[in-house]
Amino acid sequence: MLRSLFNVMTKEAIQTLRDRRMTFILMIAPLLQLSLFGYAVNFDVDHLPTVVCDQDATPKSQELLQGFFANAIFTRAADVLDPAAAQRALESGAAEVAVIVPHGFTREAGREAGPEVQVIVDGTDTTRAQVAQADAREFLVEHGLSAATAAIGPPLVLEPRILYNPRLSSPVYMVPGILGMLLMQATAFLTAMGLAREKEAGTLEQVLVTPIRPSVLLAGKTLPFVFVGLFDIVGVILLGSLLFAVPVRGSLALLGLGGFLYVFSTLGFGILLGTLASSQQQAILAAFAFILPASLLSGFLSPIASMPAWLRPLTFLNPMRHFLEIVRGTLLKGEGFADLYRQFVALLVIGVAVLLLSIARFRKHLA
Amino acid sequence: MDGRAIRVEKLTRRFGGFVAVNEVSFDVAQGEIFGFLGANGAGKSTTMRILCGLLPASSGSVHVAGVDVVHDPAAVRRSIGYMSQKFSLYLDLTVDENLKFFGGAYGLFGRDLRGRRERVEAQLGLAALGSRLVASLPGGIRQRVALACAILHSPSIVFLDEPTSGVDPESRRAFWRLIRKLADAGTTIFVTTHYLDEAEYCERLGLMSAGRLAALGTPIELREAFVPGRMLEIHGVGIDALRRSAAGLPLLSVEPFGAALHVRVDRDGPGADDLRRALAAAGVPAQVAETGVTLEDVFLTVERATIAGGGG
Repeated sequence: MLRSLFNVMTKEAIQTLRDRRMTFILMIAPLLQLSLFGYAVNFDVDHLPTVVCDQDATPKSQELLQGFFANAIFTRAADVLDPAAAQRALESGAAEVAVIVPHGFTREAGREAGPEVQVIVDGTDTTRAQVAQADAREFLVEHGLSAATAAIGPPLVLEPRILYNPRLSSPVYMVPGILGMLLMQATAFLTAMGLAREKEAGTLEQVLVTPIRPSVLLAGKTLPFVFVGLFDIVGVILLGSLLFAVPVRGSLALLGLGGFLYVFSTLGFGILLGTLASSQQQAILAAFAFILPASLLSGFLSPIASMPAWLRPLTFLNPMRHFLEIVRGTLLKGEGFADLYRQFVALLVIGVAVLLLSIARFRKHLA
Repeated sequence: MDGRAIRVEKLTRRFGGFVAVNEVSFDVAQGEIFGFLGANGAGKSTTMRILCGLLPASSGSVHVAGVDVVHDPAAVRRSIGYMSQKFSLYLDLTVDENLKFFGGAYGLFGRDLRGRRERVEAQLGLAALGSRLVASLPGGIRQRVALACAILHSPSIVFLDEPTSGVDPESRRAFWRLIRKLADAGTTIFVTTHYLDEAEYCERLGLMSAGRLAALGTPIELREAFVPGRMLEIHGVGIDALRRSAAGLPLLSVEPFGAALHVRVDRDGPGADDLRRALAAAGVPAQVAETGVTLEDVFLTVERATIAGGGG
């Protein structure tokens, strides 16, 4: 039994290692993609080109503007005299933000109505616009209040503190998601492909006339990919902490266990897709049709809390969701098993269910 | 096991409303080379897949190597070898790696496996090719590697599904010599083919037509049963000209056969000389000679009978 399993695993390993492209997809591509994703998918907003229309032109207004450009979020791109020119700069795309300081800003400073400094933000890219708007408001409120509060008494200062990812760095937020996605790609995708290829070549039928048991065959075909998955986890975390300073606050062993359970369910999905597809092309299409929604419904890019209520329960069936919570929990928050046991149980249940289903489906498929 | 390696009774297989195999019954003796003939879609491969336990039967009984395949398809696998027409090997593995994997799948490991592998490689002329990737080998050699994988575990019955399709004539001939040797050593061979010249190598033949076993017997029996009388081969005249000029002679059938015509006549019917004289008298000089009845003649006659009998 064990020798039989080892026999299938050896064959699978030889085939995988001999195929340079396959080795690349399994071992190198995840690390390359991580670097690419880490640098390219970046929600950090800075250096927004900003056009300035300082109609007041007093030392006080200049001081205000200097303060506005002090952090690197806004970059002073141009100075104009006419507010209409600032509008045109926005429309032409020369600037994404316009700051207009009106006549009499200095004169009216300190009065109850307060001076009206206008900030216009190009809303084409909602993410950038929101960040720019929030930053500008924060800055102006700070300056507007500092003058007014003196009269009213102790100021109510809102001081946000961001936990776990204090610099709000995108890679720190992204790396767990990328890990979940890459693991699913490397395992589900290749299992589905491998099964479809054996079907196409007729080797599956040739193996099925031997006395080997279907469960041993499936286990032997998938177990090597479990090791590949664990290798990818180590690689991604190592690269993540080296390149993007992703912290490792919790137990790596716990994360490894999570990855192990996660990979079981993704392999099960791979087998399932492989039994459904009758050619490698179909397997590729099916895998894409599966991986994309799984990624979207995992909380990888947009938080599950902001999905519509009817969609949220669906995400509980998604192994990627649970794995993501485990990765974020262990890496960023340093959570232990007591905090994450629900996710582990969920992964275990999904993994066992999918594997059993895929084996049943495989058996039936053969008959 | 009463000397019968395969016993099939009233085997039927339906796919939806389509009856692919219709109440087929036959036996194959131990050590026999049994050929299974028929056009594409006649039900040959379906029957073979049922016998190998790859496909369940709809009804009927099937015993292979003493195992009731209908009730326990998995139990038959240890006793049979199967080689599909695609020579299903792993192209990205070497000859040795393929043999090791399939040997392991049959529960052969270690020294036992190595001994068998070396013996079979020597037997099939593969000894020098062990470390070659299968993808780099020509079809004729792949075919022998596939056979090696199928006989490594010394099965008592070997199933060959169109084993020589896509292989050059020289390799085909060599392959049949190997099959002959296997059978001489006591292995039962069940082979499907649509090469009728190959069917001559078989000791007994079953002829499938539209899901039914239309004929069963030795090649000689089939000739006598389906194409009685003698066969004349005529060169140099068309079928219509022949019918016109030989209208007075009792010809049982006229079939095109390559560039020639095959004319079947009764045992005491006209001879080659009679026909040649009749043609010459009608102003059509032609060569006429007595010839043997081929299996192709049998095949055509059986097919025709099936179509005429509405057995579609």
